[in-house]
Amino acid sequence: MENIPCVELRNVVKRFPSVTAVDHVSLKVEQGKVFSLLGPSGCGKTTALRLVAGLETLDEGDILIDGKVINDVPAHKRECNTVFQTLALFPHMTAEQNVAYGLERRKVPKNEIKRRVGEMFELIQLGGMEKRRPSQLSGGQRQRIALARSLVLKPKILLLDEPLASLDRKLRKEMQVELKELQREVGITFLYVTHDQKVALSISDIIAVMVEGRLEQVGLAKEIYETPRTKFIADFMGATNIFSGKVVAKTNGELQLQTEKGLKVIAAETKDSSKKITGISIHPELIEILPKNTGLKGDNNFKGKIVEMIYQGDFIETKVCLDQTSELVTVHLSSRQDREAQFSPGEEVLVHWSPESSNILLG
Amino acid sequence: MKSWNKTGKILPAVATLVYLFMWAPVFILVLFSFSNNKFGIKWEGFTLKWYAELFNNVAVRNALKMSLTVAIITVVVATIAGTLTAYGLYKYKFRGKRALRTTILLPIVMPYVVTGAALLAFFTRIVHVPLGYPSILIAHISFSVPLAVFVVLGRMARIDWTLEEASADLGADRLTTWRKITVPLLLPAIIASAALIFPWSFDDFTITYFVAGVGSTTLPIYVFSQLRYGATPVINTIGTIFVTLPIIGLLLVSLLQKKEVT
Repeated sequence: MENIPCVELRNVVKRFPSVTAVDHVSLKVEQGKVFSLLGPSGCGKTTALRLVAGLETLDEGDILIDGKVINDVPAHKRECNTVFQTLALFPHMTAEQNVAYGLERRKVPKNEIKRRVGEMFELIQLGGMEKRRPSQLSGGQRQRIALARSLVLKPKILLLDEPLASLDRKLRKEMQVELKELQREVGITFLYVTHDQKVALSISDIIAVMVEGRLEQVGLAKEIYETPRTKFIADFMGATNIFSGKVVAKTNGELQLQTEKGLKVIAAETKDSSKKITGISIHPELIEILPKNTGLKGDNNFKGKIVEMIYQGDFIETKVCLDQTSELVTVHLSSRQDREAQFSPGEEVLVHWSPESSNILLG
Repeated sequence: MKSWNKTGKILPAVATLVYLFMWAPVFILVLFSFSNNKFGIKWEGFTLKWYAELFNNVAVRNALKMSLTVAIITVVVATIAGTLTAYGLYKYKFRGKRALRTTILLPIVMPYVVTGAALLAFFTRIVHVPLGYPSILIAHISFSVPLAVFVVLGRMARIDWTLEEASADLGADRLTTWRKITVPLLLPAIIASAALIFPWSFDDFTITYFVAGVGSTTLPIYVFSQLRYGATPVINTIGTIFVTLPIIGLLLVSLLQKKEVT
């Protein structure tokens, strides 16, 4: 009985005439967790979500909710609800009628509907807005009504298809926090689809990165960010420094890699060190820029010249061209560091990162 | 500036002329329906006697009854059939969909004479539909359905269809979704097509004339037959009713729309 996943996909395949949208995907979403499907547009993540919702029929494999196969259960009888990207609020109904819609379909007694809808409006802090039409609500309010409309049904799992995509940056951040708080409060399981790595990192317990219909890596948010397994994921998660290369030496807990252009880079050994390593990636905020005359400190020290500094507010995106191989390294220089060191484009500098910051890539 | 001034005089003049040209005959017809002159061509003082004559005229009453019956049945049947057809054409994929979609709208541009003659030949020689109510109804419905399809298809292109998915997702079966979501969303188009079909059917002369047979007379056919005896004031009164009813209808619709907006 222990640990039956809330939702499980077993070797699920969905083919469209021109493309295999979901290609043998298996995953388990645990009870009470936020599980994100992250990937670029067209990677099949929305199709995967729609398969769980029952809005698409699958070609192969099984989908289970609470350990029961639901392949043939039609959408309107599944115990999951969706928050659509367009929100899909019914324009001809009031906010209240929208929220009550699902309960009415379930033939819940009138007075109970009234009570539960009222509670929902309190939860999403929109008391007083009950009689408004969707067109009379703001973007954030519509968002909450869409959430309420699904949550009021107490689904086993809530499916969210980029529900924040249409909001502006500030509101998106606020709603992100609100969504996470709401999730904790209600204790409901989320399957969240997004192409925005920032949203995924901040909201998820587990992230699955999807590329061309396949899952490339599944792990804790921290793992996906810090130790992406493939070049694609490293790039997608913002690790802009990616070097293809191979291992040339292994010495006491350290790997020595030679990049295609001949740069020798040191990486700390990990549990994956025995697999075939194809390169390394380094997040730009893990690299330091030091004045030219600084004494070398250990591994991964390279001389170079600053070629570009782009002001980004909270950091300065700095590109350094390495003397040895003419490869570009991108560094996110914090504003504080910059104030202390006063770097300028054209300056000869030293870049450095620790072996632990070198992340091994396997594909 | 000079040329501006010139346009400033000519344009209103042309516009006034066009407007007069459009409305003067109608205005005179309405005016003379209240005139005492028995040929209905001169003003000889106000009277309502032609209206009295109109409503006492059994032939007119029967023709009006027939026209209204035909129009109402046509509106109901054609709007329902047209809406369902449009839905099917828009939502489902099947072989020959494109061809069907094109040909189903073709009757809108078909000359009435062709449609009328074809229907008559069809009814009398091939399927033997009795001429009269049955043939008139079939003819009216067959040229009205494409109108409904056309109007409803236009609306469908502007609907967010995830709303239907959302309805299913929230637990509604197909029929409930159709009733609670799809129909309300299509309602403006359904009403518009009904409003379009009613006068279309009520006014139709050409096609009806072909398929009516002996003894069945709709109001337009009655008016035409009376004109052989010259324009009588009774014709003017019928004309007045024909003109006033749609205007009232139009005003009602725009009033309703205003109410909905606020």
